[in-house]
Amino acid sequence: MSEAIETQLQKIRAKRDLSCFDIYSIDQLTTTDLSLIFTVAAGFRDAKTAKLTLGKGNTQINCFFEPSTRTQASFDLSAKHLGMDTTNVGGSSSAKKGESFIDTAETLDAYNAKTIVVRSSEAGVAEVIARHVNASVLNAGDGWHEHPTQGLLDALTMLDHFKSETLEGRIVTIVGDITHSRVFGSLVRVLTKLNATVRVAAPATLLPEAVEQFGIVVFHDIKAALDGADVVYALRVQEERGAKGFIPTLREYAKTFGISERRLELAKPDAILMHPGPVIRDIDVHSALVSRHPQSRILQQVENGMAIRKALLWLLVDRVDGASKEFSRM
Amino acid sequence: MSSLLIENGHVVDPKNKRDEILDILVVDGVIKQVAKDISESADTTIDASGLTVTPGLIDLQVHFREPGREDRETIETGSRAALKGGVTTAVAMPNSTPAADNQSVIEFVLKRAREVGLINILPAGATTRGQGGEMLSEMWELKQSGAVALTDDGFDVQDPGLLRRAMEYAKTHDMLVMSHCETDALTDGGVMHEGWVSTQLGLPGTPDVSEDLAVAKNIMLAQKTGARLHLLHNSTRGAVDAITAAKAAGSKNITAEVSVQHFALTDEECVGYNTDAKMYPPLRSQEHLDAIITAIKEGTIEALTTDHAPHIEPDKLLPFEYAAMGSVGLETSFAVMYTYLVKSGHISLADGIALMTHKPAGIIRSDRGTLSEGAPADISLFDTTEEWTVDPTTFESKGKNCVFNGKQLTGKAKYVMVGGQIKMKDGDILL
Repeated sequence: MSEAIETQLQKIRAKRDLSCFDIYSIDQLTTTDLSLIFTVAAGFRDAKTAKLTLGKGNTQINCFFEPSTRTQASFDLSAKHLGMDTTNVGGSSSAKKGESFIDTAETLDAYNAKTIVVRSSEAGVAEVIARHVNASVLNAGDGWHEHPTQGLLDALTMLDHFKSETLEGRIVTIVGDITHSRVFGSLVRVLTKLNATVRVAAPATLLPEAVEQFGIVVFHDIKAALDGADVVYALRVQEERGAKGFIPTLREYAKTFGISERRLELAKPDAILMHPGPVIRDIDVHSALVSRHPQSRILQQVENGMAIRKALLWLLVDRVDGASKEFSRM
Repeated sequence: MSSLLIENGHVVDPKNKRDEILDILVVDGVIKQVAKDISESADTTIDASGLTVTPGLIDLQVHFREPGREDRETIETGSRAALKGGVTTAVAMPNSTPAADNQSVIEFVLKRAREVGLINILPAGATTRGQGGEMLSEMWELKQSGAVALTDDGFDVQDPGLLRRAMEYAKTHDMLVMSHCETDALTDGGVMHEGWVSTQLGLPGTPDVSEDLAVAKNIMLAQKTGARLHLLHNSTRGAVDAITAAKAAGSKNITAEVSVQHFALTDEECVGYNTDAKMYPPLRSQEHLDAIITAIKEGTIEALTTDHAPHIEPDKLLPFEYAAMGSVGLETSFAVMYTYLVKSGHISLADGIALMTHKPAGIIRSDRGTLSEGAPADISLFDTTEEWTVDPTTFESKGKNCVFNGKQLTGKAKYVMVGGQIKMKDGDILL
């Protein structure tokens, strides 16, 4: 059974490799890389939870300096399905003792781990670690910067829906806290690479400086932003933003930017609704829309997350060309 | 009696409008004569052919960390770094531990400077007690003990009411107030310039208006009180526009400086989460850099400084958001000025030297920064043709955190004299 799956996956992969050895930003990926990732991920999705041997003999360390539920579980299970050994470390113990995150990473690297998955509250941690280790580093979210696997799984979900290899001519409207969102950071980069038309809708307090330079259009009027959209992508707005003066109350946010059934009707009739989770029901998205609504793709996103992560892990730990990361420990 | 003759150097002495090949005779630590072909013999003769001879450079803003953080820098290592860069006089900022808000710390710094005996160190005292921004420090006593200025530097006085009192009280005792202009409520945790680069990096940004508003506040209060105000390390278009306007309105009590990194480098240096490029105020975008250069060309700026800020490695090996702010600069400041302002054609060498010698001297009312006959013989000799790559591992400073790491610069100090004594020759410190 699993042998047949592996043969099928090898056929899909067709001896192709990624152009990079770490995944800390969507900026590293070419359109050829994206197409390879999406094709292989679709293959893994069909394989469900089959126990494979494609990553056997390789070790993965999930280094979550910032706690995570879904991303950590997804990365861990993905590696295990590929036959890899995994272990989880929280950064807080050594960090509390005063250890630099770079020293922590170098120590983990000395276990000859093949992949290190890094999540941090601060921007840039995965990218800096990638410069200090032999292992391939996968960014599982760094501060407000990026969350590349989330961006990839979101793009895959959209491509599936449109049964297409690009998002040319598709309007994606992203609503919510843009400034503090690592999900947005990766999503906007992957969507523009796939030629989507990207709109963002948020109060000006939740938009970072010069955000339009990503090649996107900013709306403060939710109705105009949703008009004719193919994808409505809601981001979580955290309660603490209220306390810091970004919005008066979540109540007012829900009234002005929350996605209700009526608002969703402004988008195209076949538009899909997406959210990276965790959803704050009735604030970001009306409760009735969350998981069971026909237009909601929130659970498909989660499933695609596993597929994307398995694809990346396989492509990174088992390179056909045998090339290795250019790295020298100084 | 000891004498020293510097022969055939290209003397650039902006205060005295000298810019030609001349000899300089120094006797007993004082400049005796500056003329063509001095025939007198001296105990020591330096052939300065091909070199540029300037007054020893004056830096109005350095952090020598002593007392308190001798792991980062000491008065000795800071002085050695200064000499390597051709700097002979430095104003030491008061953010030591404890802060220089009392006569004991000022006297300690002066005593250490005398013991080390390398360069002239002029301490600045704190404007408020413990730089806490709540109660005035004993300014008269600070002045009596030797403080040349008052500043809370990195902890800008936020309360405009207190800042007004500070200026009024400083004026009472004829003290200079130096302000690092920052509006904390607008900076709000920002760690780099707020703009397209910070958005791409996902880092909290410090908006330009944080500085602009504080500069405007400081200028208005200086105009109201008549206190002498010096604005430290200006980095924004808004700041230099406000200063230009204040000067046009006749405010002679206001002076302003730029730190050399702010006309040389932009926020793009932060890409890759390079913590050496994290500083305060932050490296700004090109638009601001252009405005700063224009202000320098138009004469709005009186001084170029380093804001020399040494740190230990662990304080920079942190996520960008938590890394220490600042870059060392004493060993690169002349070369940065020469490379980015003179060589690139923005200003003349004489104008650049003026901004690093007699003009900053005027701000702190020092008679140094000239090659006038009778002046203390603080003299630096530079080779303005030498190209070199910045390698912080070769620095005298304990701080290896340098934003110019790896950059190609032109211009290097070859000899430095302080009070007529040769203290640095070809990169070697002479004790």
